[in-house]
Amino acid sequence: MTDKPTSLSRRDVLKKATGGAALIASTAAIPGVAQATTQTTKRYAMVIDTRRCVGCHACTVACKTEFDVPLGVNRSWVESIEKGNFPHVKRNFLPRLCNQCEEPPCVWVCPVNATHKRKEDGIVTIDSDICIGCKYCIQACPYGARFINPKTGSADKCDFCLHRVREGLAPACVNTCQGRARIFGDLNDPTSEVSRVLSTNSVTVLRPEMGTEPMVFYIDADHTDERDAARTGQYVRVETHRPNEERV
Amino acid sequence: MHELNWGLPVILYLFFGGLGAGAGAVSASVLLRSGGGDQSGPSFDIARWGALIAPPAVILGTGLLVFELGSFQAGHWFRWINLFMVINLSPMSLGSWLLGLFILVSLAYAYTFFKASAKPGDEQHNLRKKLAWAMVPLGIAVALYTGILLGALPARPFWNSPILAMLFLISALSTGVAAILLARALFGKMLSADDETVENTSAENDSYLLTSTDLLLIGFEVLVVFLFVMYAHLSVGAIEVAVNVVLGGELTTMFWFGFVALGLILPVLIEMKYVLPTLLYQKKYQFPAGMEMLVCGLVILGGFMLRYVVVIAGQVTGPVGI
Repeated sequence: MTDKPTSLSRRDVLKKATGGAALIASTAAIPGVAQATTQTTKRYAMVIDTRRCVGCHACTVACKTEFDVPLGVNRSWVESIEKGNFPHVKRNFLPRLCNQCEEPPCVWVCPVNATHKRKEDGIVTIDSDICIGCKYCIQACPYGARFINPKTGSADKCDFCLHRVREGLAPACVNTCQGRARIFGDLNDPTSEVSRVLSTNSVTVLRPEMGTEPMVFYIDADHTDERDAARTGQYVRVETHRPNEERV
Repeated sequence: MHELNWGLPVILYLFFGGLGAGAGAVSASVLLRSGGGDQSGPSFDIARWGALIAPPAVILGTGLLVFELGSFQAGHWFRWINLFMVINLSPMSLGSWLLGLFILVSLAYAYTFFKASAKPGDEQHNLRKKLAWAMVPLGIAVALYTGILLGALPARPFWNSPILAMLFLISALSTGVAAILLARALFGKMLSADDETVENTSAENDSYLLTSTDLLLIGFEVLVVFLFVMYAHLSVGAIEVAVNVVLGGELTTMFWFGFVALGLILPVLIEMKYVLPTLLYQKKYQFPAGMEMLVCGLVILGGFMLRYVVVIAGQVTGPVGI
């Protein structure tokens, strides 16, 4: 009986010690203090302010150009949502890309370890020299972000322009966005624009019920689906410029 | 309609893989059932047919799978070897290794039956018995994994059901039995022409065992189909919307007529007509050869329709909302 409390308290001491360590770590995240410590890992995220999107498809084209993406497939695309009954109508735009999920279902199912979530920045990448093109990850992605690149035969998708980001440049779609609707940056840096925008706006992610924890956030996104039309009695049409034209 | 990333090669693979794995597992269990493989007679004959069906069916299915790979289509013909460079917890990785192992073991198992003079007590006897013990769990594992492969994806609500793997397993065993019976009915005469006197006396009993097993398996399959559809229908959201594809959607006829009516109910009714008199009243078992072939053909067709409907239905449906 005397032994037990002692061992418990010993455990408590350990707990307090680790808790203290966590406290120190969390103070390090306060601006000012953060500048003193060197952050080696990054957590890249994107916020898309759909209020500023005019549906010009500059991002789609910039992405196509950046990666020479073959015809018929897209790493990045823009969906348009038409809804309402005249005269109360609206056309909203929903730019889409890989969500770089914190819990990426595509990564868990890859049989050859060709795709993984990078520890250093959280970007989900594909090694096209390893990928066998089994399409299992395409089935696993709830966002339809992946496709088979007909040139390489490998699965392909948005990688936040890793080759640009590595050099300190913004992703091609962010760089080209006329309305500055896309904000990209490191969430581990509390002074970054993306951190500030994320903490001062209400944001949503796509299909949060899938539990994928996306790293692409939307401000004022229109989550209307064609199924909502029946319930609301509205005319709703969702279109993408992808070959199958339907949202996946 | 969503893009069909997995087409006919995958459907045929799931069908042939299941059929081969089922035939292998049934063959080995029938062999072991006859005194651990020591007794000669019709059980050995059945085991032999199953053993000879298993490797070609699974190899054919797996071979077709390679054609569906993006890397193969892009000209990297041997990129699939990467599957055997790593092992991880992806159902496809585990499945590839299982398939590889099954193919090797089933080839060796078939080899022990390959000579026309193969019989219990010959030089392959001990090897055959040992391999049979491995074939039962391996066959079941391969048949199960095909369902787990599809069921592991929350993004595909039609597939994401814990009972799908069970459905595939039962379908694999029943198509395996049907393939053995069909092969025996078609080619049995020429194989056992030399020792006809021994065979014919107990061949009936033996076909009875398999046919009644098939009846039981299909009975369970009907129940599993019912549970699969019922639980999906009782859910709310993506899964319920997905199952509507077979409850009034574009694949309804294919599912209820092609799979349930032609592939399950009709063969069950025919089998009951011939099995029940023996089962209930111990009458002499007689199953006309033509009718037996028809039933086996229907069961095999049903197995294909199941794979077809499930693979397509899973891809034309998806998460709802955005």
